[in-house]
Formats: sequence, structure tokens, C-alpha cells
Amino acid sequence: MGKFPQAFRRAAAQSLLKTKTSSPSSAIQEQTPSPNLPYQPQKYSSSKNKPTKNNAPTTKPNAPSIIFDSPNLSDAKSIFNSLISSSRNTPSDPSFYNSILKSFSSVSSLQDSILFLNHMIKTHPPFSPNRYTYHTLLVQSCSSPDEQDLSNVHNVLNLMANSGFPPNEGSTDLALRTLCSCGREEQSIELVKELSEKNSPPDNYTYNFLVRHLVKNRSVSTVDCFLQDMKEFGIKPDLVTYTIMIDNVCNSKNLREATRLLGVLSEEGYKPDCYVYNTIMKGYCNLSHGSQVLEVYKKMQDEGVKPDHYTYNTLIFGLSKSGRVKEAKKYLQVMTELGHFPDAITYTSLMNGMCREGDALGALALLGEMEGKGCIPNSCTYNTLLHGLCKARLLDKGVELYEVMKKGDIKLETGSYGTLLRALCRNGKVAEAYEVFDYAIESKSLTDVAAYSTLESMLKWMRKAREQGLKV
Amino acid sequence: MKFLKMLPQRLKMAVVDNPKKVAELIDLVNLPTMLREFMGQSQSSQLNCFRRVWSYVKENNLQDPSNKNVVNCDEKLKSILLGKSKFELTELPVLIKLHFPKKPK
Repeated sequence: MGKFPQAFRRAAAQSLLKTKTSSPSSAIQEQTPSPNLPYQPQKYSSSKNKPTKNNAPTTKPNAPSIIFDSPNLSDAKSIFNSLISSSRNTPSDPSFYNSILKSFSSVSSLQDSILFLNHMIKTHPPFSPNRYTYHTLLVQSCSSPDEQDLSNVHNVLNLMANSGFPPNEGSTDLALRTLCSCGREEQSIELVKELSEKNSPPDNYTYNFLVRHLVKNRSVSTVDCFLQDMKEFGIKPDLVTYTIMIDNVCNSKNLREATRLLGVLSEEGYKPDCYVYNTIMKGYCNLSHGSQVLEVYKKMQDEGVKPDHYTYNTLIFGLSKSGRVKEAKKYLQVMTELGHFPDAITYTSLMNGMCREGDALGALALLGEMEGKGCIPNSCTYNTLLHGLCKARLLDKGVELYEVMKKGDIKLETGSYGTLLRALCRNGKVAEAYEVFDYAIESKSLTDVAAYSTLESMLKWMRKAREQGLKV
Repeated sequence: MKFLKMLPQRLKMAVVDNPKKVAELIDLVNLPTMLREFMGQSQSSQLNCFRRVWSYVKENNLQDPSNKNVVNCDEKLKSILLGKSKFELTELPVLIKLHFPKKPK
């Protein structure tokens, strides 16, 4: 690590006073040096509260770096020159220079970054760039969202190859992830094909990352096309890929496609695992198809796939949701016998089902059972119960539960808040409804507006009901 | 049982999603003189005004001991709520709203 010249300290000190000036001396700011550096001047410890740019790339904690906030190339060059000429022992570790380059690349254009790198290599021979140096440029070339083609990316890849660092799997991964994060999916597909041709194909993780990103952001046909094209390079979807795709179609409620994919998966010689089945089961849950949910479970057993904790939670959720509470209860038993401990989610799903059936008291009893077994209810559990009790016209029990929630600082959800208010108003307990309104705002359960407008519309409805001669 | 069907289930969501109605509740408005004295500030929103009156009622124990849904006004409250000597909590939002007339477009 180099000692920093006087001018730098002054610059850093000035930047405390002037927030942003165009003078080159304040174009840099010192990041807080870590205290474990032996030859760091003590004065620097006073500079701990420096305004550092937070969006600057994170660097290794022991590498002091320069933060550039001006995209001007010649300024950057002169700052670098004065840095190396005035320090006696500049570090030979390339990561020091990489962080400088990274910092400059975060504000400059790609062309300027390349020129700056060349400048650093030329003026300071101890610095020999490594793969990470070029990866910095690669990220920059991929990260501009409005770029129409890959020419910049190609430039950097060529530069890498010419400098003795031909792109490897790491480069491929980095480039694709960066492109995807900027919404350049089409170009990432183009690039991955090119790279596969040039013998630096993506590995499984990169490939699956891309598939996951594409199914979320592009149409199914685009993904299919991509998968087909990749097969030409010998890259085939694996079990994880299929799970990703099945998950996607299940979320969009296209269970027919999910079943088809399950067939394809078997044809390809893969055996569906627990995750695949859980995903499909979740799909049927979303559709409230209780019998199909059970079927998936049975199929798992036939195929010898051992259900896990999530399988049972999904199963119980699905059965409860589709009104088959009795069976759901049975599986709670089964689950426990097999050594999977039911958690708050399991119980809440079941309570939800019981409340839907109107058995709010049973659900309340289940709360006791759950707590007896040492399982701690969460806010969702309480809200489900509160909603159920109020719906079932068990207002007293509901209010009791509400008091428990209030003691435990548990937030109300929009649904249960509305139901509780309605039940209170219907029973002529307007003052209590006002108190609940206060709690909803105090506990930050809802926004002021949401809480108030619910209360207001409830009172409005009461007045109307009264005008029509109904007894409220 | 009839009124059960009238429940404003959809209505309440509509307010939160409607930017105009939200604005009506939270926009700061120049208060009329009598409210200014009560609130101790010259600008307020309908929502804040409501909360202020309600907390005033609680702080001064103005709820009728025999029926908590009824508030017996003190002089200060009387001056801002149409001179009523008592009102029901059900009416409060309407009474507050009177001070916040809709703006002509």
C-alpha cells in the first residue's frame, strides 16, 4: 500500500467541505483505510467519516482505493500519475489497480476505461493485469442497458483473448448475468450461442441461471427455442432445468404443460425427485384441485420418492384450501409419525381450512394444541384465526385473540382488520372499532389511509343500514 | 340478514387504489378559523384532523360512560362540530368531512 501524497489528503479534506466541485483535486475521495495497515499514517483515522460513494464497487477491505467521480479521462490519468510518482512503495498486487479501474469504469465510458487501462500498463510496469482486470471491462461492456448490439462486448472479449486471457466459463457467467440484469435477454442468448461455438460454453449453473431468468421474463416459445438451439452445442436441460420450467408453468397455472414436461423429463432419462413433485403439487394447490394434490402424493409413494417436510406442508395446504380438512388432519398425523415436525405453516394452513368450513372453534383449539407442542404461532396464524372467529360470529373470542395479538405486538393484516372492524360495528361496538383503528396505525399494520378508509366505509354502511330502519 | 349483503367489501379497497380519494384524505388544506384554534396549526389533512379529534375525545374522557359510542362535547369540541352538545362516533367522519369541502375543479 502506498503512502498517499499530501495533495491527496488535502483533496480528501476539501471534499468534506465542498460537496461537489469540478476541480480535479476534488475528483477523488479517499475511502476509509482499514486500521490494520501498518504504514498507514495515523492522521487517516480521523478521516473515517468521509463521504464515500456507496455505489462504488466494493473492494477488498485492505486495499485503499480511489473513488472517481469524474468521467474525464485526462483527469483520471493525471490522478493516477501523481499517485504512482509520489508514493515510494506502490503495491504490486494487481487487485489494487483493479479496484482503481473498477472505480473509474463505474463513471466512465468503456472506451475511456480501456484507454485508462492501457495508460496504467504503460506508465506503471509493475502492474500486470490479470483476468479480473479484464472482467471489470467485460462487466462494463455488458452493463449499459440501451446498447443495441454486442459490439462492445466483442471488443472486450477480443481484447481478453489478445492479452492472453481467453474467455473461460467464469467470463461467460459474468457476461450473461450482467446482460440479464440489464434486461438484455436477447443479446445474452446471442452471446451464449457465440461463446458455445467458440469453445467456452456455459456450465450447468450458468445455463440454468439463464433459463430461470428467461422463463421469468420471456415467453415460453422463446425459452423452447433457446433450449433447442443449445442442444446443438451438446448442452441439454438437466433435472434442475426441468424443475425451473415446471415451476414456471405451474405458477401460470398451466398444469397441462407441466404434465407434458414431466413426460419429457422421464423420456430424457431423468427420474423426478422430491423437488419436481413438490413443485407440481404446489401447482395443483394454486388451482385448489385437492384430488390432484393427493394424486401427486400417491405417485410419489409409488415411485419411491420420499416426501419431505415441504411436501407435507404443501399437501396439507392444498387439501385445506380445497375444503378437504378431514384428510388434511389425517396427514398432519402421518407427517408427525414420519418424524417431520409440523411448523407454524402447517398449522396455519390447517386452521385456514377449518375456518373456511366454519369450524373456527376447532381452529382455536388447534392453536392451543400447537402451542402445547412448543410450536410458536406467527402473525399469519393469528390473523387467520382472527378472521375466522369474526366471520363465524364469535366476536368475544375474536376480541380475546385480538388482545393477545396486541400484547404481542402482532400486526393486523388488511383482511382480518376489516373483518374485525365489521364485526365490532355490527355489534354496536363503534368505540372499540375506533380503538382497533388506533392500534392498526400505531403498530404500523396498515397505512393511515387504508386503516381510515376501511373505518370510514364501515361507518358509512352502518348509517345507511340505520336509515333503512335496520337495527344495528 | 338483509344488510349482510350490503357489506362494502369491495368499496374499501377501491379507496386505497384511487389516488384522488387518497389525496382527499391526506392533502394539507388551509383550515377554517375555528379549526385552526382547535388544531393549533393552520394546515392539516382530513385524516389528521380526524385522528386529532378522536385523541382529544380520549384524552379528555368525553365518551359517555353509559354508552361509549356517544361523545359528550365540551365547549371546544362544540365549536368545531356544528355546536352539537353530543354526537355519535358513527357520525364523526362525516362531521370532519364538512370542514373539508371538495375542491372545485
